[in-house]
Amino acid sequence: MNLTPIAGNGAQQFLEGRFRGALEQAADGTAVLKLPLGTVDRAAAVLAAEGARFITIFAAGETTRFLVAAFAFRGEIVALQAPLLNGSTAYPALSLHLPSAELAERELHDREGLTPLGHPTLTPALRPDADDLEQRIVGGESFVIPYGPIRSGIFEAIQHVIETGGEDVLLLQTRPYFKHRGLERRFRGLEAVPGVALAERIAGIATVAHATAFSQAVEAALQIEPPESARLWRVVHAELERVANHLDVATKLAEDAALAVGAARFSILKEDVMRLRARLCGSRFGRGVVAPGGLASAPMLSPAELRESLGRFERDLARDRKLLLRTSSFTDRLIGSGRLDRETIDALGGVGPVARATGLSTDARFERPYGAYQRLGFDVVTFEGGDAMARLDVRFGEIRESLHLIRQALDSLERIADPAVLRTDVAEGESGAAFGWAEAPQGELVYWIELEAGQIRSAHISSPSLRNWPLFVGSFRGDVLTDFAFIEHSFGLTAAGADR
Amino acid sequence: MLEWLTRGLRKGVVTSRYPRRAEPETAGFHGRVEVVGDDQAAHAVETVCPTGAIRVSGGRVSLDRGLCILCGACVTADPQHFRYSSGFETASRHRTGIVVGGLIEQRLENSRPPLAVQARPLRRSIHIRHVDAGSDGAEEWEIAALTNPYYDMQRLGLYFTLSPRHADVLLVTGGVTASMTKPLERAYEVMPAPKAVVAAGTDACSGGFATATGEVAGGVDQILPVDVFIPGSPPSPITLLHGLLLAAGIVTEDSA
Amino acid sequence: MSGVFLAAVIVLLAGIPAGLARARLGAVVTSAGLILVGAVGLASAAGWSHGHIGLGSWLGFGPAALVSDGLSGIFLAIIGLIGGLVSLALIERPPARLGAALNGLLALVLVTVVTVNQGFVFLLAWEVLTLTLYLLASLERDRPGTLLAAYFGASLSKLGGGALLAAFALLYAQTHSFEFDVWAASAPHLDSGVKAAVFVLLLVGFGTKIGLVPFQGPLPLGYAATPGVLAAAVSLALNAGFYGLWRLAFGVLHADALWQGELVLTLGAIGGLVGILYAIGQGDLKRFLGFSSVEHAGIVLLGLGVAIVGRASGKPLLEAAGLLAATLHVIMHALAKALAFLGADRVRSSTGTDELAPLGGLGRRLPRTAAGFGVAVLTLAALPPFAGFVSEWFTLEALLQAFRLDNTIARLILALGAAALALTAGLGLLAFAKLYGTVFLGWLRSPLERLREARGPAVGFAVLATFTAVLGALAPWEIRWLGHGLQGLLGFDLARTTISHPLVLGPVYPGFSVLAPTWLAIALPSYALATALFVIVTQRPRTRRAPVWMSGALVRPARVQYTPAAYSNPIRVVLRPAYGYSRELVRLDGGPRAPERYTLETRIVPFFERRFYLPVVRFGLRTSELARRLQSGRLGSYLLYVLVALIVVLALIPALHN
Repeated sequence: MNLTPIAGNGAQQFLEGRFRGALEQAADGTAVLKLPLGTVDRAAAVLAAEGARFITIFAAGETTRFLVAAFAFRGEIVALQAPLLNGSTAYPALSLHLPSAELAERELHDREGLTPLGHPTLTPALRPDADDLEQRIVGGESFVIPYGPIRSGIFEAIQHVIETGGEDVLLLQTRPYFKHRGLERRFRGLEAVPGVALAERIAGIATVAHATAFSQAVEAALQIEPPESARLWRVVHAELERVANHLDVATKLAEDAALAVGAARFSILKEDVMRLRARLCGSRFGRGVVAPGGLASAPMLSPAELRESLGRFERDLARDRKLLLRTSSFTDRLIGSGRLDRETIDALGGVGPVARATGLSTDARFERPYGAYQRLGFDVVTFEGGDAMARLDVRFGEIRESLHLIRQALDSLERIADPAVLRTDVAEGESGAAFGWAEAPQGELVYWIELEAGQIRSAHISSPSLRNWPLFVGSFRGDVLTDFAFIEHSFGLTAAGADR
Repeated sequence: MLEWLTRGLRKGVVTSRYPRRAEPETAGFHGRVEVVGDDQAAHAVETVCPTGAIRVSGGRVSLDRGLCILCGACVTADPQHFRYSSGFETASRHRTGIVVGGLIEQRLENSRPPLAVQARPLRRSIHIRHVDAGSDGAEEWEIAALTNPYYDMQRLGLYFTLSPRHADVLLVTGGVTASMTKPLERAYEVMPAPKAVVAAGTDACSGGFATATGEVAGGVDQILPVDVFIPGSPPSPITLLHGLLLAAGIVTEDSA
Repeated sequence: MSGVFLAAVIVLLAGIPAGLARARLGAVVTSAGLILVGAVGLASAAGWSHGHIGLGSWLGFGPAALVSDGLSGIFLAIIGLIGGLVSLALIERPPARLGAALNGLLALVLVTVVTVNQGFVFLLAWEVLTLTLYLLASLERDRPGTLLAAYFGASLSKLGGGALLAAFALLYAQTHSFEFDVWAASAPHLDSGVKAAVFVLLLVGFGTKIGLVPFQGPLPLGYAATPGVLAAAVSLALNAGFYGLWRLAFGVLHADALWQGELVLTLGAIGGLVGILYAIGQGDLKRFLGFSSVEHAGIVLLGLGVAIVGRASGKPLLEAAGLLAATLHVIMHALAKALAFLGADRVRSSTGTDELAPLGGLGRRLPRTAAGFGVAVLTLAALPPFAGFVSEWFTLEALLQAFRLDNTIARLILALGAAALALTAGLGLLAFAKLYGTVFLGWLRSPLERLREARGPAVGFAVLATFTAVLGALAPWEIRWLGHGLQGLLGFDLARTTISHPLVLGPVYPGFSVLAPTWLAIALPSYALATALFVIVTQRPRTRRAPVWMSGALVRPARVQYTPAAYSNPIRVVLRPAYGYSRELVRLDGGPRAPERYTLETRIVPFFERRFYLPVVRFGLRTSELARRLQSGRLGSYLLYVLVALIVVLALIPALHN
């Protein structure tokens, strides 16, 4: 991971000018603003007004506890850090100024007991009760449909409370945290390198992204760099994972539209990618590949073999994609459904393909390039429109870019001097704390790891799915119940990653 | 529509012939961890496993696949005793049936016969309701893959159903978080007899990583009576297929 | 027979003061009178004997008499038997004193209208009918909206009465007599322009009573305003309008022009659709039934239109087919609607509300009401083997005979009428499914203050329900009876060609198609019973109860079931142009700390109110404003008016004399 911020000059100047004396540079390049507890919300408002994107808020530290709020600001991560002195358990809520912080502050309240003063809807978030349905439309015209947590299909558990007037979706509440496994706490006590096994199992369909973000956090904390070949292979695995995720979205959308042959063909394509990953590393999901220091296992295919498999795959995909986008009975269901606009994305801090479908070029590989992405060229795929069709178009574009990135990485690997060196040694018993990130298929994923004497003392994860679920609620404008599946699958979010 | 038809026909048949014919195993695939060379194992190898799946006693080793998350730490630390294999028939009708190695406990008999024995018509038509009780999301992909043309479980008479009132098998993934306990119990209660419960994945067999946090019950068998345990993190589609056929009674268990 | 008839009328007369003295007594007396009258009607229509009560000339304008012949017998039977059962129900639920007396008056007036053979007495009775209905509708004047409904109904009835007066005046001018027989004799010699004008006036006059578009507005409101069992009695007043059309427009005037039939068909088709579309969106039980009456009136007119077209094309079988279908439908509708209103009254007295939204799951708590209401719903929704299915089948079959016509336009209109009937029937299923499902099935939506089944034998309700249920199976006998009764209008007995085998029916044209409702009524339940027995004996199913599946959640099922508005929402959205439907979610402001709450505001553009009634009312108000200026209150102006009138009259008389 590159330790000097690439596009950080704008951020530095602004922060130095505005928060004179509070700015410090952390070892991993993060800009840290040390502020008193009572001013964190105002500082957050200032940053948000300047276009910063809220990432997460959490509590850290052993003897002295700190409240940390992280933002993505002009190509850097800016952390607002405030000490929780004298056992204080309340602080002015960021949600007053930032709607994107509402869910994270509710979770923080449940986990750590820190009360955000002035929070608009401070209700318990963790361990929700499936029967506790709040009906917000009064009068006898509408009724409520509890859709979830057990839903109609092979889907993850999350509850949507739909208030409908018969055919249309009037109001929607999405309640995550049904699958809360408390895995952030589980990190405590694990050794730095074996801890990646837990990171891989936070959100199984984004295994490589989580492992990459975790490893980069550890590497930044311990100030080590993996070798070039490892960084290139990490790119290969991450992009294969992105392709698999996007094909899964296309398959689900085709199934929703009852386009049986289309769904079957795209599921074949996805299965081909999963089997390719199995041949490459032994795991269909890329588990046991990425670890702090580099790679944990050597690839089982040569770049030439991989390139050949990808060529066949790409030809099949091109034909199926063209046919799918020409089938009007399919595209008609997507065009105009679940429209989001830029203002909503900005206000709620949306990330990933959902944000890119409204024209924003929010991509962690582009804003804060990491690993081999700093030297590989790719385009951030954006579309205007913000509806489900735009989100699908973004995904197909990203598949194209991913395959391009993989080919570039394979070319670089073939030219590399010592391809067999896949790991840098990770010293044991060291301490440090750092942020690490990766662009998961769902969007920007951020880890924060604190190491003490070689063991993880605390960990915090900001999942893109958690940040995007509130966007799902706001995307229903005049859509009806039958559009629900299309809009949900076009978002392509996970519940496991959000609930942790 | 005609173009979809011709595309499909040109691809040909890709469907697996399992269980009528053996499924070719993928070389190098991490299907399961096997215990080999079962003696003189060091006691220290127990601490290598992050979920505590390994027990060593008197130099003999047992590996509880229900706790094994296939991370490979044991394979790296002690290749004398542990290695990956691509075998996929890992499911068992008893919880102790998925514990392998020299140090094996008494096997308990499962009192419930498979579905096809309880009701003959179920031999050719089983409806499966999947419930996610706290998995990491990967098991759902593998379960959904069962309907793709490679595995096509519908040729064996297995179908996914959306209403548990129409279901014969309850396929549960995840180690049952607190919020999902009541919904899972309700899904089971609402199913008509005869019914079977299949725990798919290591999280469902034992709770996996999350057991130590206290947020999960520690496996589906803590909440419901389980008929088949399918280990794996996640179990591959063919592993799931084997487990489902076991619950139906279409295949029988061989000691792997 | 005439003696019995006279006795019945005297009993009816006695029912009015009896009702003033004691409500229950009045109900008993009226009921007895009505049943006697009904028996007379049955006998007359069957052709056994005719009843005759001479009224002399003392009511004015020539001799009058109450005659019960074939056609009058049919309607006497309807009003008498059904009205008698309704009055029986009145005994158990007595209205306010005035209500029972008004019921008696209504009965007497209706009997007069359908039997008198002279125009002046007819008009007299018609106006008394208007007054009676107004008084009935305004009984509960404290309830909001009641007086408006009463005035609205009265004004439109006056308009209708005015049209009838004009029609009778025209006929009098041509024939110098008010007697129906005289009019009938001179009808062929009437000037076609006069005949056309009279037809249209008669259509308007009787249309206001039956709910012909565009006069259907007050009908549902009137039903909603009339309290209790009396609404069922009011629903019988519809038949007076049908009788008027049968007797005067079809019989006396001998409508035989193609355009007349086409006009009636078109109005009927539109009326049917309008009625059911507005019924679907209603949230009030009695208003729903009112709009359903509009729908069924439309279907009746479809039959009548075919009859006129058949007569104009010189096809007596077609004429008979249309008239038979229309008459069957009138009888079915009278029965089922009266039953439905009795059921609605039972719901109202058991739950305290007329609205659909808070109800639900009443089937378990009010089993007898649910059963009776269910029979009415099944009949009105035209499901086999009930009477509604039989009469709609006949109507459809009559419309399908379009291919026998030569005139292309007539064929087209009949075909379109058939399409409209099909659409109406389909929407009717939806509407009644919504009504019955949201009231009697499911779970109770809102807690009610009281919920008890009414005690008592409910004789009227039970007999009415039983009769409605078996009416479909009794169709062959009904048609034989109608054949005698309609012979006067048609000139032949249609039962001969309609009933082939003993219990098999055809649409008057022999061999065209068949329907056997009697056999259906035996076969369908037998199949169901046999299947149930087979399953129980061979499968021996064991039942285990488990809660409703709600995706893993479990709340009170009443919260997650469809509301009445939600059930009809898709239709309102799809047919948005017809409703002008719009909906808005409005945030409720409860203060800074209050939880987020919203209400749903729905707007439907009431088409007829906005485009038709309001402009007319405004015009009327403006005109009366102008006229009010004449009433300046100054003595001088009035003296001037008198002078002007005198001069005009003095000038006119010599002018006219020359």
